[in-house]
Amino acid sequence: MSEIAIKVENLSKKFCTSLRRSLIYGTTDMLNDMLGMKRQTEGLRKREFWALQDINFELKRGETLGLIGQNGCGKTTLLRLLNGIFPPDKGKITINGRMGALIAVGAGFHPHMSGRENIYLNGTILGMTRSELNSKLDAIINFAEIGEFIDSPVSTYSSGMTVRLGFAIAIHCEPDILLIDEILAVGDGRFQQKCFSKLAELLKSGTSVIFVSHSMPQVQMICKDAIYMDHGKMLAYGKVEDTIGFYYNKCAVNVFESSENTKDNFISSYNISYQYLKFFNTKGQETRTFESGEDIIAEWKFNMPAELKNVSVYFGMANDVFTHSGYSTAKGYDNIVVERINSDTVCRIHLKKPFLSPGEYIVSIALWDDKMQDCYYNDYESTGKIKITSKNKIHTRFQYDHTWELTNA
Amino acid sequence: MHTVKTLVYEPDIRRKMGLIKSLIVMYDNMTGNWELNYQLFKRDFLQQYKKSLIGMGWLFITPILGIISWVFMNATGILSPGDVGIPYPAYVLISTTIFALFQSFYTGASGTLSAGSGFISQVNYPHDALLVKQTLQQLASFIINFIITLIVLSFFKVYPTWMIVFFPLLIIPLFLLGSAIGLVSSILTVVMPDLHRIIGVLMGLLLYITPVIYSSKISNPTLQRVIEWNPLTYLVGGVRDAIIYGRIEHLDRFLIVSAISLILFCMAWRFFYVSEQKVIEKMI
Repeated sequence: MSEIAIKVENLSKKFCTSLRRSLIYGTTDMLNDMLGMKRQTEGLRKREFWALQDINFELKRGETLGLIGQNGCGKTTLLRLLNGIFPPDKGKITINGRMGALIAVGAGFHPHMSGRENIYLNGTILGMTRSELNSKLDAIINFAEIGEFIDSPVSTYSSGMTVRLGFAIAIHCEPDILLIDEILAVGDGRFQQKCFSKLAELLKSGTSVIFVSHSMPQVQMICKDAIYMDHGKMLAYGKVEDTIGFYYNKCAVNVFESSENTKDNFISSYNISYQYLKFFNTKGQETRTFESGEDIIAEWKFNMPAELKNVSVYFGMANDVFTHSGYSTAKGYDNIVVERINSDTVCRIHLKKPFLSPGEYIVSIALWDDKMQDCYYNDYESTGKIKITSKNKIHTRFQYDHTWELTNA
Repeated sequence: MHTVKTLVYEPDIRRKMGLIKSLIVMYDNMTGNWELNYQLFKRDFLQQYKKSLIGMGWLFITPILGIISWVFMNATGILSPGDVGIPYPAYVLISTTIFALFQSFYTGASGTLSAGSGFISQVNYPHDALLVKQTLQQLASFIINFIITLIVLSFFKVYPTWMIVFFPLLIIPLFLLGSAIGLVSSILTVVMPDLHRIIGVLMGLLLYITPVIYSSKISNPTLQRVIEWNPLTYLVGGVRDAIIYGRIEHLDRFLIVSAISLILFCMAWRFFYVSEQKVIEKMI
């Protein structure tokens, strides 16, 4: 068996934004083919754009490759090309081995057929033989956890059940190469855990994986290498830590440049804004990057036309999967009495040893009355971002300060 | 463990493939995907009738309803097609059944791409293999239709001759011609949606220039010319004559038209193979 599972060379693909034109181009391309003329692929015709441009990478047997980038950067198009759904416009893809895709679960499900019948239908569409399906049927049904409903029509299933069934079938395909497109974002926590375990099993047996996700912790956990794409181009390709680092830097630049503009992006009928929002480490240095577990000190000043009495101040942090930790001085929360506040009041919060998973966190500040009923100022999570890095791997959302002790008897 | 095969995706890879090679690849796809065809056949054919009360009964009722209208028109004198050698209702019945078979081959083939429209953009599977499933679906409806036709014919004291044994062979040219048009239509319809409707209408008109509801001897000379040049006259007429009279009139023309149908089918099949990749992205 060849060492290389997937080889992509100079891959490019273009699409047309206008439906009408797209149909016309389709017709002309076909006519060109029939008359034996070469199809026009070099440049861009009107309303066409490059969905993918000059993609090059190699995936070796048993390795995992992450694919990250913002929505619309071309990840799904790349997966479709690898899956053979449609041909490229330029370049070459070489695939060694059976391809399986967790791109869309439940492909071909017929709503009137039972779950069991659909296992055979979907499994066959995905390329499994009847004997394979017979031997794996029990494993699939157990994995999906549909229970007795396996013999009911699929139209009666909830969307979660449909996904679990579709996923169970796809993951038992045992392909040589597996393409996963953000599909692990659905399902409850327990099911996700099962999927990850099964995935680990497949990886151990030598399956190569291309993993598309927006969850950096997941990508870091599963992948060895990663590609960062933007607008159809590969901007970074290398070890997963380096690629994710590059991605953060690029995003951070964008946000920090624009965060100064967010002073206007808030809700306040009291004409309140903020003057500045700064972050410091324990050494007193101003920074926006913190090591996971390092104390974070945030300092800000509001801007208000007149003094306010009996208020509560709020500080919160959220990351890309919306893990939110929030702190409020209000009664019943932190119970800190704030008798009065004005434009000269310096607000400071000192977060002690927050072991957050690496990533960017959006910081937000707000001002409420002391019963948290009336909102004077709320920035709706637009104030700014800080970056958390970690020397050690943290794949859960956060950890606690801890020590280990292992004693032999 | 399955054997590891290497796949290469490049632009125009199918177009550059020779005619013979592409036909071999498609033949392999068709014969190597029985399970897929069976599963999809089960899904589309059997499920059609699951919800309805009469269910599979419609397969029997529809042909009978069809005949009644022709017989009615003959009985009231609206249609006097001339002497056809056997009772007119029997003639119409067997002719329309065979013509409908041709139409159904077209319908089946033209749905080759859209049969998989739900998952065509998500999973890679050989689309040309679907032609088998589409055809099987049409054949399944036809067989029931045909058996009823033969039963009704016996009421008119018209019994099939020994040549009915060759029936499966004799309908192959109909399949080739109908599928050829259908495959081309299935591709073109993606980029020209009106085409499907236009062809549907033309198919209906074809009925009037094929001697299905009248005999092949017509008084009007222009119409007679048209009928002589219509390939279906020989393909449909040949099958009908074999069953009823035990011989094929114009056997030489039947064979020539069959050969042309085979060539057209190979061309259409290759066209399908080369072009389908380009239209699939418009289907998403």
